[in-house]
Amino acid sequence: MISHIFTYPSSREVNDRVLDDLLRILSAGGVESDVVNGVCVAVSEAFTNAVIHGNLENPSKSVTLRLQVNDGEIIADIVDEGYGGVKQIESRKPSTEYDEGGRGIDLIRHYADSYRLTETESGGLKVSLRFLRTGKKISTT
Amino acid sequence: MEIQLREQDNVAVLTLSGRLDLASGATLKEHLKRLAEKNAVQVHLNLSEVEFINSSGLGALVSIMKEIRLQKGRLTLSNLASYVQEIFEITQLSHIFEIYSTENEALATYQAAAVR
Repeated sequence: MISHIFTYPSSREVNDRVLDDLLRILSAGGVESDVVNGVCVAVSEAFTNAVIHGNLENPSKSVTLRLQVNDGEIIADIVDEGYGGVKQIESRKPSTEYDEGGRGIDLIRHYADSYRLTETESGGLKVSLRFLRTGKKISTT
Repeated sequence: MEIQLREQDNVAVLTLSGRLDLASGATLKEHLKRLAEKNAVQVHLNLSEVEFINSSGLGALVSIMKEIRLQKGRLTLSNLASYVQEIFEITQLSHIFEIYSTENEALATYQAAAVR
């Protein structure tokens, strides 16, 4: 299994680079087109959260994406250098329809077959996403 | 993201292409703000060439819609690709936006409203 590791600066302008890297790796791995969009949306949401809420757009902090494309699944870990916040995310109220934000976690839950939030040893947040290539859903943890 | 603007029957028609995310959403909001300053508050967005949208892009659209409604204007959307439509439905935003299959269908509703 090969892990592709990318490190990005904490900038909202970088999402394009993240998507370009993702599409390149997913395409090279022959990932089915109906799975690709969901992976891109979920990883993009986790990346944006890491930049804005994790690293607070601090240019001295980075976001790391580790991506693995296996025969039956795709694994993506998005790690920031922020202040964790697992409890706050899990206790967040759902967004209302006229809110301008707060839908990212809903999209992650929809597209990822499983996701897990953990705090890193240095206090940042790690979002672990798993996508099945069959498109079949498994239980969410 | 690229934005092409034209005016048709007092409606500002914007065709968006590329990715609609946090950065491009801010650009789009700025664009619409400049239009509103010229009293262009009848706005149609053709999303046929939007190849990616995330929650930040959706947030920008909600913000634009709220601003336009505050100014007694109207915002319509059309030509959503299936994966864009799916994201509107997952987030339940398909209920609060006026979404049409085609640009012509959307623009016809402005004309119908104008003759009433």
